[in-house]
Amino acid sequence: MTGTNPLHKDITMTLQSLLLAGVLAVGAAGPALAQGGAGVASKLMLRGEANGVQVSEMRMARRADVLVVEADILNTKVDNRTVFYRFKWLDSSGMQVGDGESWKQLTVYGKQSQVVKSVAPNANGVDFRIEMNVE
Amino acid sequence: MQTHRLVIQRSALLLALAGISVLISGCESTKVASPVVRFDRQTTNYGDAKAVELVTNEFSSSDLQLIAEKMVGSLLETGVFQGRPTVTISTVKNKTSEYIDTTNVMNSIQTALVKSGKVRFTRSIQEMQAGVDELTRQNQSGLYKQNSTAKVGNMTAAKYSVEGELTSIVKQNQTTKDVFYKFTMKLFDVSEGTIEWQDEKEIRKTSKR
Repeated sequence: MTGTNPLHKDITMTLQSLLLAGVLAVGAAGPALAQGGAGVASKLMLRGEANGVQVSEMRMARRADVLVVEADILNTKVDNRTVFYRFKWLDSSGMQVGDGESWKQLTVYGKQSQVVKSVAPNANGVDFRIEMNVE
Repeated sequence: MQTHRLVIQRSALLLALAGISVLISGCESTKVASPVVRFDRQTTNYGDAKAVELVTNEFSSSDLQLIAEKMVGSLLETGVFQGRPTVTISTVKNKTSEYIDTTNVMNSIQTALVKSGKVRFTRSIQEMQAGVDELTRQNQSGLYKQNSTAKVGNMTAAKYSVEGELTSIVKQNQTTKDVFYKFTMKLFDVSEGTIEWQDEKEIRKTSKR
């Protein structure tokens, strides 16, 4: 449905391509979110050991005036991993937007990549963090 | 000479006691009471309301939160709410074998959507009687100044109506119980009767028996 709606001005960019460009800008009013090789790391709040799990790529788009984020969670090991994660949305002042998301449990099979997604609670959400821990 | 030694020993003992008492009082001053009302043996504590609840595999607070977040995110990113349209909550069916307050799911969705500022909600059928009672009280009781009363016939009708449905598939054997929940939500254009948006949230919970 989202793909057919003309109102959606997807400006999806991977962080990888943005890192090459040296800047990450989302929409006309969007902030610069990440620079250099620390692009993904700067958005990640990892609690404890990663146990072979990594966020390999993040994509961001502004759809209908709200930011949408997708992150690829990659299990580099052959054993299954249980990942607990949630997105945290921030406004232009760095204040948290909304009440905060609930924690989610995700099973990532060995050598598998899973996509997780979040939509900002309102138009004030201009930045984000991913809180994550791995069992 | 011996008396003098005894006096010195007593003085040393007193000094030691004084030192211990100072130490004890010092320790006590760092230990403060938390502002709670409970018995010492009581082990109740406030937990993280956003934590993943894995107590049983029945419908949980985490399921409610997962459904609400998925539906709200999907609705906001579609752009169906351009121009802050009016929406009302219609029916939410529980087709599972469990007792689940599905109104609670809709309340969470409605709260998040109202806070997004993208949509205006009108009174649902369940909320209408309270609104009618208040209008009647203001206009027919004779208690209020005429120019201060809310006028009858000024309510804004909903452009869209939201309907939801929760179903489950339960499978179990001697060792494992598997529950699959599916929440489906539809946004109808009231005037045209068309579905303008629809999404689903699937949840699988498996537990060992």
